[in-house]
Amino acid sequence: MAKPVELPQGTLEMLILKAVSLGPLHGYGILLRIQQISGERLEILQGSFYTAIYRLERRGWIKGAWGESENNRRARFYSLTAAGARQLKAETAKWTDMAAVVAAILGKKTGEI
Amino acid sequence: MSLLAAIRKRWRSIAPRNSNDIEEEFRSTLQAYQEDLMRQGLAKEEARRKAHLDLGRPSAQNETYRRAIGLRLFDELGGDIRYGIRNLRRNPGFAAVAVLSLAIGIGATTAMFSLIYAVLLHPFPYAGADRITYLFGFDEKRPDAFSFVTLSKAQFDDLSLAGPVESVLGFNPTQMEVTGGAFPEEIASTYLTENAGAFFGVRPLLGRNIEPSDAENGGRSVAVLNYRFWKRYFGGDPHVIGQTLEINHAPYTIIGVMPRSFAFNDLAEVADVYLPFSLISNVPNVNYVPWIKLRPRVTPAAANTVLEPIAREMAKRDPGRLPQNWHLALKPIIWTFQENTGRTLTLLLAGVVLLLIIGCANCSILLLARGRARRHELAIRSAIGASRWRIARQLLVEAVVIACTGALLGVAASYWLAKLPMVLSPDSFPAESFIRINAPILAFCVDLALLSGVLFGLVPALRLSRGDSARMLPGRQDGGVAAPGKRRWSLLIAAQVALTLLLMATAGTAIHSFLGLLRTPLGYDPANVMRLGIILHNHARGENDGNQSREARTAYFEQLREKIASVPGVFTAAVATDATPPYSGAENTFEIDGASDHEQPQARVTLVDQRYFAALHIPVLQGRVWNADENTRGDFIAVVNQAFATRYLSSSNAVGRQLRIPGLIARNRNQVASAQSTTWRQIVGVVGDARNDGLDHPVTPAIYLPYTTLLRAYEQFFVHTQGDPLAYLQSIRAAVASVAPGQTLSNSNFNGTLTLNEAIERDAQYKSQRLFSILFGVFSAMALALALVGIFSLVAYSVAQRTTEFGVRLALGAPRRHVLWVAARIAFVSAVAGIVIGLAVDSFLGAVLAHWMQNTFAATSLMAAAALLALSALLACLLPARHAIIVSPTEALRYE
Repeated sequence: MAKPVELPQGTLEMLILKAVSLGPLHGYGILLRIQQISGERLEILQGSFYTAIYRLERRGWIKGAWGESENNRRARFYSLTAAGARQLKAETAKWTDMAAVVAAILGKKTGEI
Repeated sequence: MSLLAAIRKRWRSIAPRNSNDIEEEFRSTLQAYQEDLMRQGLAKEEARRKAHLDLGRPSAQNETYRRAIGLRLFDELGGDIRYGIRNLRRNPGFAAVAVLSLAIGIGATTAMFSLIYAVLLHPFPYAGADRITYLFGFDEKRPDAFSFVTLSKAQFDDLSLAGPVESVLGFNPTQMEVTGGAFPEEIASTYLTENAGAFFGVRPLLGRNIEPSDAENGGRSVAVLNYRFWKRYFGGDPHVIGQTLEINHAPYTIIGVMPRSFAFNDLAEVADVYLPFSLISNVPNVNYVPWIKLRPRVTPAAANTVLEPIAREMAKRDPGRLPQNWHLALKPIIWTFQENTGRTLTLLLAGVVLLLIIGCANCSILLLARGRARRHELAIRSAIGASRWRIARQLLVEAVVIACTGALLGVAASYWLAKLPMVLSPDSFPAESFIRINAPILAFCVDLALLSGVLFGLVPALRLSRGDSARMLPGRQDGGVAAPGKRRWSLLIAAQVALTLLLMATAGTAIHSFLGLLRTPLGYDPANVMRLGIILHNHARGENDGNQSREARTAYFEQLREKIASVPGVFTAAVATDATPPYSGAENTFEIDGASDHEQPQARVTLVDQRYFAALHIPVLQGRVWNADENTRGDFIAVVNQAFATRYLSSSNAVGRQLRIPGLIARNRNQVASAQSTTWRQIVGVVGDARNDGLDHPVTPAIYLPYTTLLRAYEQFFVHTQGDPLAYLQSIRAAVASVAPGQTLSNSNFNGTLTLNEAIERDAQYKSQRLFSILFGVFSAMALALALVGIFSLVAYSVAQRTTEFGVRLALGAPRRHVLWVAARIAFVSAVAGIVIGLAVDSFLGAVLAHWMQNTFAATSLMAAAALLALSALLACLLPARHAIIVSPTEALRYE
């Protein structure tokens, strides 16, 4: 198993948006999806997980609706709203930009500076 | 339906999810996680445990949710408020005292504010009321004597065209009669120029107001009713529009009813009906009382330019009638009330604010004292992690809960309180202003409640939240340790006592000067004398009475007088014209025989009959009073008062001197003068000085003349009876009716039935002094009660806290007197300090107060107030302190 990675502040919400963008998921499904995509390397703080979901729902970026889960249990499924999609796109762009800049700086060798 | 649905949808989109929903979702997540764990090989019970451990408890989830969406602060505040209310309910005694302390202050302050709002800030319902002005004439020699100036038709028309003037309303108040019934009924009517509807901008309650079209054909016979008259005469009949009202034997069609707030106008008295001015505009010499609405943002200087032509014409038309240093000025219609009533209200507002501050201080003291009993609870709160801010916030919220409860009570009380000054001093307020609780007042009250809550809650909150848990936690009371925060208590008590003394001294001054006013020598005896007014019948529009000739009128009045005098129990009946003390006579210039060093001598010309002096017990000092024949003739004779003799005839004997009054002529068709009213008259007697310029002004020189020399369409009868004069009203009415059926006693403001004692009570100075005395008396009694409750509860709490200490002291043989002193010391010393501060402040403020109350600040009443306060403070200290010495030492020490 690869080394676990700690999430920087605020990125959990981005990841949830991403997870939900692939199709409606219930809360536990989102948790599983993030762990799965990350190759089990993300240790999500359980407490903050639902806080993030509630906040996203409140802001209108995801919306919840009750439905049936795969094993016929009632569960609340979240899907991305149009505002959420825009937010995800903006956040992704910002993140990629920032990562590229930081990576470029850190990637420089002594001679290149 | 669609609107409701839309609202519901909108609410659902912003409403937080409910807790069941949150919990169910969380449970399903837990379940899924638990099953996952079981699939990985964990036993069911262990999986459940781990799931709960990793994800948390479902019952706590709702809290997480609310915190996530930012509702936590509200939830906590809600909790604090609920806790505060529970706390109050648990301590009903404390709650009652605290809430009442504030309710008094907030109620009184709100009442005074609503009064100020109704009277000074927003008294008139008219459009652009702050731009409407009266035209006043001022005599520079007597700045407090001003007159309302009336205009002729030409002047009125000119004024309407002046540049700074937006529009002018002309009106003319007249006494009239509703006829057509069994008996004529006297009413007050006011003619209004036909621009009235637009000028007032007040929507009628029913129908319409007077409009320009009503001027057609010399004025349409239409009438608009005043609200009160409509209620009184028509029982508030909603179908009154279109009905006919017979006034002075002419039919008028009712076209409208004005709303309650429309009470135009108290210049003479509020009219019962309003009629188009065109009905009388062709009558010769008709007067227009103008209300001049200036254009917005017109400077006073610009407005005054309209006055010059008026002043010039008045001087030309009537030379010699106007005093020399006389000038015109426009003043807002609120002005006459602003001067005195504004001053009164400001002073009263200051009084209630003091009361509120005292109430707040009281609550602070109570909270501090009770906070000591609550130290245990607060220590636990802070020990389990409550921050100082959190505890302070909770205490503040509790204070605000008390304040809001107090405010609620206070608003209810203020509704009645606000009416008190209006009841005590009705004429000091515009007729249009009436008290209602409205948005600005409610907003004021809520602000006041929050402000006072924070004000009195802050000190205790900061103080009590500071405690460190380690020192405070031990369950036992720290009996002997001197309580921290004593200094704050002392300060609060001292401040409270000082403010109370301020209020008491003010009340003392007010009462002192009111008593002084009551003791002023009047110069006449008001006991068992009443005034009755008779107005001659109106027979047609503007036409007056069938007794036109002077002789017929005199005979009629004399006949009435004899009938009244013959009623059993009536000692004397006298006739007079506008001579109801403490105000009587009209200022006139006169000439006196021989040289006079006075440029333009003036005196009150008072028209009475020869019996007037006996009826009012005004003594004859020199010479004699005229006889019946001289009274009928009216000319050649005069009596003066002592002030006149002293001022104008100082060098010689008054009796036998001659004087004449050039202005004594009939000025309108309702007046009729005797043949030689302006010729020389001989002074036959000097009478004592009876008040004629109000209670607080010295008696002015007066000339008494037989009333028949200038007859009006009304006269007043002064009736001196055995016992209460009002008891004779029925028989006097019958006597009057026996002379002329249908002749009724007048009920108008200036002419209605009134005992002379009531006339004194109507005096402006009397009313304002009485208002101050009563209200400040009430305020200071309340303040005193509050301060005593504060002191009492402080001592009681501290005695309860220090039971052990007193037990030890007593056990070790301390004398009881000493223990008593120890228990009461702090509070009493603070109170005495407060009194000293109060005395210092009072002597500093004395001059200011005296100026505002228009009388001298009495040192004796201040000393009396201080002594009373000290005595009652001592009692308030000793009563609870007594508990310290009835502690039995063994019992007190048992807990040690």
